[in-house]
Amino acid sequence: MKLTTVLRKMTFACALCASLNSPWSLAGDVLSTPAMKTELASSTLLVDVVKAGERLVAVGQRGHIIYSDDQGGSWTQANSPVSTLLTSLYFVDAKQGWAVGHGAVVLHTEDGGVNWSKQFDGVAANEMVIAQAQKRVANLKEQLETAPEEEASDLEYQLEDASFALEDAMADAEVGPGKPLLDVWFKNAQEGFVVGAYGFFFHTEDGGASWTNWAPRLENTERFHLNAIAQITGGAMFIVGEAGYVFRSTDFGETWETLESPYDGSLFGVSGNGNVNEVFVFGLRGHLFYSQDSGSTWDRVGVDVEESLMSAAVGEGGRIAVVGNSGVMLLSQNFGEDFKVHPQANRLGLLAATFLSPDQLLLVGEGGVNVLKSISKLN
Amino acid sequence: MSNKLHDQGDHFILTPKAEPWLERLVFNNRLIILIAFLAITVFMAFSAAKIKPDSSFERLIPLEHPYIQNMLENRDDLENLGNSIRIAVAVEEGDIFTDSYMETLKQITDEVFYLRGVDRSGVRSVWTPNVRWVEVTEEGFQGGTVIPDGYNGSQESLDKLRQNILRSGEVGRLVADNFRSVIIYAPLLEVDPDTGQSLNYEQFSRDLETNIREKFQAQNPNIHIYAIGFAKKLGDLIEGMRSVVLFFLVAIVLTIVLLYWYSRCWSGTLTPVLASIVAVIWQVGILRLLGYGIDPYSILVPFLVFAIGISHGVQIVNAMSIESARGFDATTSARLAFRALYIPGMLALVSDAMGFLTLLFIKIDVIKDLAVTASIGVAVIIITNLVLHPIILSYVGITKSGIKHQKNRGEERDRKWLRMSYFAHPSVARVSLLIALVGAGLGIYYKQGLKIGDLDKGAAELRPDSRYNRDNDFIINNYSTSSDVMVVMVKTDREKCSSYPVMKGMDDLQWVLENTPGVESTASLATVSKIVTKALNEGNFKWYELSRNQQIINSSIQRAPSGLVNSDCSMTPLLAFLEDHKAETLQRVVDTIEAFSRENANDDYQLLLAAGNAGVDAATNQVISKAKDLMLIFVYSVVSVLCFVTFRSIRAVLCIVVPLGLTSILCEALMTQMGIGIKVETLPVIALGVGIGVDYGIYIYTKFEYYILEGKSLQDAYFETLRSTGKAVMFTGITLAIGVCTWIFSPIKLQANMGLLLFFMFLWNMVGALWLLPALARFLLNPEKMVAKAKAAEGGV
Repeated sequence: MKLTTVLRKMTFACALCASLNSPWSLAGDVLSTPAMKTELASSTLLVDVVKAGERLVAVGQRGHIIYSDDQGGSWTQANSPVSTLLTSLYFVDAKQGWAVGHGAVVLHTEDGGVNWSKQFDGVAANEMVIAQAQKRVANLKEQLETAPEEEASDLEYQLEDASFALEDAMADAEVGPGKPLLDVWFKNAQEGFVVGAYGFFFHTEDGGASWTNWAPRLENTERFHLNAIAQITGGAMFIVGEAGYVFRSTDFGETWETLESPYDGSLFGVSGNGNVNEVFVFGLRGHLFYSQDSGSTWDRVGVDVEESLMSAAVGEGGRIAVVGNSGVMLLSQNFGEDFKVHPQANRLGLLAATFLSPDQLLLVGEGGVNVLKSISKLN
Repeated sequence: MSNKLHDQGDHFILTPKAEPWLERLVFNNRLIILIAFLAITVFMAFSAAKIKPDSSFERLIPLEHPYIQNMLENRDDLENLGNSIRIAVAVEEGDIFTDSYMETLKQITDEVFYLRGVDRSGVRSVWTPNVRWVEVTEEGFQGGTVIPDGYNGSQESLDKLRQNILRSGEVGRLVADNFRSVIIYAPLLEVDPDTGQSLNYEQFSRDLETNIREKFQAQNPNIHIYAIGFAKKLGDLIEGMRSVVLFFLVAIVLTIVLLYWYSRCWSGTLTPVLASIVAVIWQVGILRLLGYGIDPYSILVPFLVFAIGISHGVQIVNAMSIESARGFDATTSARLAFRALYIPGMLALVSDAMGFLTLLFIKIDVIKDLAVTASIGVAVIIITNLVLHPIILSYVGITKSGIKHQKNRGEERDRKWLRMSYFAHPSVARVSLLIALVGAGLGIYYKQGLKIGDLDKGAAELRPDSRYNRDNDFIINNYSTSSDVMVVMVKTDREKCSSYPVMKGMDDLQWVLENTPGVESTASLATVSKIVTKALNEGNFKWYELSRNQQIINSSIQRAPSGLVNSDCSMTPLLAFLEDHKAETLQRVVDTIEAFSRENANDDYQLLLAAGNAGVDAATNQVISKAKDLMLIFVYSVVSVLCFVTFRSIRAVLCIVVPLGLTSILCEALMTQMGIGIKVETLPVIALGVGIGVDYGIYIYTKFEYYILEGKSLQDAYFETLRSTGKAVMFTGITLAIGVCTWIFSPIKLQANMGLLLFFMFLWNMVGALWLLPALARFLLNPEKMVAKAKAAEGGV
């Protein structure tokens, strides 16, 4: 019964999209097909988990969004309007939250994660990037006409860059809404940021109703992937990405500076530890770095793992968990001064974690959700 | 028709008018016929001796089913998916990371490589260069073969090996989770490209035993070898088939003992056995001449031919002794026996043959062959047991001790027959009918759960505790792999098999399937693309998604396993690994796929069912469930029509056919309760059971009618029937049931199942004919009317 309903919905969606006459509205396109209801949602790939008040909400493959009101004991599948992989989510309070994913979708909930609506996707993103690039090219051309000779060569240089950017954007639009957003962070219910692949970086001031391309505010001409965005205690904001890129903003995201990176491999995550101006970044092959001065200088934290580290969770009293591929889990009891390695026996990749209590940790990853009880007794 | 002959009376016996032309033909040329029989038998024996086991894969599957046609059309592109063998080499003590284990594993890998029938390019083991590990580093990818370069068996290289295995992602696939066994995977070639010969499963299975299992287990006592795959299963089946010869001999000996105990006459014992063995020789000889082989299914037929032969032989011996006891000489007794029996005998045998021919409805070659071979066998019996047997008896006669026994027993058993004749008494008949009705009701109730197909895990043809099934258990328990694979062939235009819409369609179908109970996991090019896209993005699961960018898709499937894309990228298989191959699981999965295919019809791709062992099983089940009712309707119609033509009475037809119907219902209830499904091997038995069962009814009814027309009351007529034919029927039923009982001990489960069902049908059809037939007759037949009608018919001539 359930299956045929889903199938019927899929054909219905397809009939709808054919009438939209867009090349990307294929039969059951992932950006317009609601996630199928399934009991497997909590036991298959989940990528992120956060708290919305007392509730836990997690996102994962095929548009899955699930929530739990009993500390991870049982999970309910939310109504998600898309069926593509969701990569990250963020709640500013118990009700207002956003999730992002492939196809550059941004989803929004106002009821604590039960019902979600689509605010933005790759089609809109591509259009916006093209519009902005066109505007910049036009601007530069205009400037070039009136510019004094000594600025002209510099402007020509910029124009060339801008033209390339426009070409890239057009090419992207040709391929379709393929590129993923990888992380989301909101300052409050109005203002927020999303980052993603190939330098995707957007900003909203109206709770996600409209977005502005923020990418030009980073020095990322090679359009490296931006993997994570976070704010640390003390107010500084960080974005980390491919090739060891670390960006910092001390004015709530208005302007960004590129920091000197301790590493040239990819960084997958950034997290504070609860202390003012203290921050961790981590990434490929067990690389984990710690800074006490908001990222001006870094120290490598030695951990004996070869696997990539994906995400961190901060608990009370200096407890920090960092999780990664092949079941790697690192735990610190002292704000990250040192970590102990606790590999999970099934060796399935871990993507995110959150503390349920000082002694309980919820993990999500390749195998879905997993609650670790009494982590202090791990050895 | 027949009753007129009976009416003629004894004194007409030697007048030409009373002798049917057939009788004259047979008995006037006794010697010539006997010599001809001898010559043909010698010729057939030579032919029969050359018969070979035959079990090609194609004969076991319903070739006309669309699933199978799809599979055969795409056969070349599916090669690696169908027929393969998996050999697990386990350590008894410790783990696999020892020098001696790895050395043995290497030697076994080499040996597997040289097994005849193995597709060498596809062999995978820790020791083959196609098994690699890959890792993402700051600079890009790094990788190599799982066996480290410069491996020398030292602790250092073993540590490196362990690390490589962990990185290769083969844990759970080629290497067991507990690191105590490793699998060598070898795809097989159905046809040898060099010689053009098709794979000899028996030979392959034997090579596997001697060159791999026995050799290396002896060489390294710390290892144990497990092997599974279609080829091994079939090899084991053929091996087990040989034990049937022993059962056959046991059955012959049992039959001889019982026959002697019954007749106390050596000629009465040996002549039916001889005639039946001649029938078997002819039947097997003819098969060989027609180019058939013997397979685990048709091995049933020679046995059946023997059984039916004995059944008719006993009737002839019985009639002979009765006539001899009345004082006729051997030749006259033989003629009288022939005259009395050739019509019911022929009728019974033609019914048998027609019953068997209904198996032609099932479009699976082994079953169709079974229909043809069994019909040939029955045709042969008409000649051997209705012609040869009386001729031999006309020479040797019934011995004096036999005649004496016949006379004595006639008197001493009268009381017993008298008691049994009460089955035709009104009050007993009423109770009998009530019991039959209740029995049928219970049968219908209990057969509700009757299933099509296999009900058990593993190879249902073999016993659950057979080595094959134990090996299967070991591999299922230690590896995250399933031996039941359903393959959907995804057809596209050329070079389109990896386009985004196709990949997306496969990904959707996979998810729908993974949400279907009974599906463990799925795999396709889309899975490969997602995994590699993730890997190309530094192993980050946030990239575990299909890209819309064709270039990314293309690079992600560059190294896809060869079996997943055909040469012009117009077909790619989607695999569903199932928990088991129970009929309901298979049907649920194909229903899901067909619904998906219907609801998502599009121009980009077409979903074709089905390949893989589960696909073949699903097709087989569908064919069987469709044919089952049709076959039963037809077999009952044929039997009814033949009975009607002979006895010219619907009431007679009911008397004979209703007990058979009860047996069929109870047999299905028994199958349900014993957990036996309707399958390739059990469906024929249901049809054969009806065919053989009707013999009893026909013999009983013929005599019964004869005595009624003599003017006897129902109960008296039945008493006389029991005294003459009844005891032969009873004896035959018991003898055949005991003979077929031996099959229950066969190492092959499918033969044990056949044996059990035949045992039940032989016995219960006999009970039905002796107990229920007279009860029905009590309410259906009116002796006075019958006599009047017969008189009227005679008067009219």
